[in-house]
Amino acid sequence: MPSTPNRLQQRLKHVTVEEGVPLWQGLTVILLSFLVGIILAILAWNGVIGGAHGFLGGESGPLRKMSGLGAALFFWIVGFIVVMPSASYLFVIFSKGRRRKHWSETFQAYLFLAPAFFILLTFGILPVVYAFYISLHRWRVIPGRYIKFSNYIEALGKPTSVLIFVVGVVLILATWLLWGTYVQRGGSSKLKHTPSIVWHIGRWLLILAGLWIAVYGLLGMIHTGDDQVFNSFLNTIYYSIGTIPLQLAVSLVLAYVLFQGLKGQELFRMLFFMPYIAPSVATAAVFTTLFTPRPEGLVNRLIGFFGIPAQKWLFEASPINVVIAKLVGIHLPVWVGGPSMAMVSIILYNTWVFFGYYTVIFLAGLGNIPEVLYEAARLDGANQWTLFRRITIPLLSPTTFFLSMIGVIGTFKAFTHIYVMRVPSALGTVDTVSIVIFDQFFNATRYGYASAIAFVLFAVILFLTVLQNHVFGRKVFYG
Amino acid sequence: MTTTPTSAPRPKRSFRLNVTYPTMYLILILGGIVSLLPFLWMFSLSFMSVGEMMLRHVLPSHIDFSNYIEAWTNANFSLYFRNSIIMSTVTVAGQLVFSTLAAYAFARMKFFGKSVFFTLVLSTLMIPESVTLIPNFLTVRALGWIDKLPALTVPFMASAFNIFLLRQFFAQIPDELYDAALIDGAGHFLFLRTIVLPLSKAALLTVTIFTFLGSWNALQWPLIVTYKNTWRPIAVGLYSFISEAGPELQLMMAGAAIALVPVLIIYFFVQKQFTEGIATSGLKG
Repeated sequence: MPSTPNRLQQRLKHVTVEEGVPLWQGLTVILLSFLVGIILAILAWNGVIGGAHGFLGGESGPLRKMSGLGAALFFWIVGFIVVMPSASYLFVIFSKGRRRKHWSETFQAYLFLAPAFFILLTFGILPVVYAFYISLHRWRVIPGRYIKFSNYIEALGKPTSVLIFVVGVVLILATWLLWGTYVQRGGSSKLKHTPSIVWHIGRWLLILAGLWIAVYGLLGMIHTGDDQVFNSFLNTIYYSIGTIPLQLAVSLVLAYVLFQGLKGQELFRMLFFMPYIAPSVATAAVFTTLFTPRPEGLVNRLIGFFGIPAQKWLFEASPINVVIAKLVGIHLPVWVGGPSMAMVSIILYNTWVFFGYYTVIFLAGLGNIPEVLYEAARLDGANQWTLFRRITIPLLSPTTFFLSMIGVIGTFKAFTHIYVMRVPSALGTVDTVSIVIFDQFFNATRYGYASAIAFVLFAVILFLTVLQNHVFGRKVFYG
Repeated sequence: MTTTPTSAPRPKRSFRLNVTYPTMYLILILGGIVSLLPFLWMFSLSFMSVGEMMLRHVLPSHIDFSNYIEAWTNANFSLYFRNSIIMSTVTVAGQLVFSTLAAYAFARMKFFGKSVFFTLVLSTLMIPESVTLIPNFLTVRALGWIDKLPALTVPFMASAFNIFLLRQFFAQIPDELYDAALIDGAGHFLFLRTIVLPLSKAALLTVTIFTFLGSWNALQWPLIVTYKNTWRPIAVGLYSFISEAGPELQLMMAGAAIALVPVLIIYFFVQKQFTEGIATSGLKG
């Protein structure tokens, strides 16, 4: 997946350089659209367009509620989208011959793009700027005063601790990446240095130091920051770690079996996929009745069949390992940690929803492995397990990588089913980051604070994506 | 990853597990039961009377639609259902027009700033919904769209994912076809309408289903832009019903079934194209 856009961009670059409108004319159109947009934005910002007094605003005008940065961004988009095709149409009129043909195509393309661009800019890209602006303000339903980074400090704790944490993480990553390049160079035999024991010790000392610094910073952050935010990140991590390996394992087995081409495999594929397409509000509602603490709930009846006493499931806030230990007669203290029983119920729900999707994608991945490899290995006397271990697993690694990346991002964004399945007696042990953001926004009406947490989440997701691409992505084998 | 978009996961018979057939079928049947059981449980509860619910029955004594009738009439599900149908249809229509136009421009037209614009479109895929939620709510509120249909549909009428998906399809249509159309005097718009669209039915179907499901199943956004029942879609209606209903499980399950049935019907008609669409777009998107 990560390689596709890059390759695409290269191809596109090739196309635009080849032939088209002259650079200065194209830039003129874009700059003009930018400028008109900015002029409109300034007018909207100062209340000349929209708002309580401006054009189309006033007492009953359609744009009376348009004011502030929101209005400015909106009118910038309007200006940009309208001027781009109009200005290029002027070039169509005033150009001749071949150049006119190019301009006419560019003009049409801008017209084709205009509606989609309008929507994507208004609701997809510029909201990021707006959200950052909101996060710097005390903003409760209506905008309040500018408070710099106070919302971020309230969420994450002392800035010095955050800085120490970031330094620690950077140290670990820098050591790791520099080591990777050093070893690669050394291995290519152009350099004589093979890493000696001193280098190894040095590297591990640096990583340990980074780890120590990061943990020190993190403890400071937890101490001074918002407990709810840090708990929500911990819950999200539990959720990811609990969900992804389980989903990958279950669906790999199912895909492997389906791939054998048994009779009726189409039917099974269809059944496995049903949970994925069903509305999650509906299925989450069903699961609240399955994982109910009442003894007549389906899951409690099922475990009762094996002689296990009824559990509280979604209503249980204590960690799963404590609950299991209690079942076998050991009393673990609650501070041992681990995902709560309620979180485990949600992890099971999530696996139920996504295993069909994962299976279908694994099936496609299995179909891409060349049959010749298996035949060659079989001639060399490899058994079934060796084939699976040495051919299927490595050649499936792009698929596995893609799925785990989707999974991490998905669990960080998960909202609907958790929102439906959370109950007060779970004591917030299932509240992931997106739930806390929504709570702060919707129920506590703290727009500024919610936006600040959302930006922290955005930063974490970006960091994880880059990390997955650069550190783990290297180990992936692309045929 | 150079498969054609229509390539299905082809089962191959030539290499087999060393496990016997019964074990494999056992695994599949187990998976099938696990994925079906919650649905059966839902339908079973939805047909029960209050008495049977109290007596902790597993199956209803007879098929009784009174819960459905009550949910449909008294609990406003007829209104929610109508709203969801309209909302999903409008969103799909907008998505088909706007994403198709944009995808065609990116696939087959030469214009200034193409790669920059395309990167811009793709970058929206990285931004989590939590970040854009609050500003979008403020924008929609400023436009006066709260409790109105545009708030539920317009923000979802174009998506980077669909533009990317359609672009991949359109780019595979041979250039010779366009050259021929050009000689016949057709422009881009005519070529798109008469040749590209009929050739990309599979891709358009995938986009339709994805958009429809996304619209039908959405909770978070409709929840914040609807205060009154006028335009509440079924997901929000069901959610508010769950949070208010309390012990009336059988009604809740009937409501859930009402939300589920249209999706299931559509799925049974198009399930093959849909799973194939997932398999290819999943690997490419």
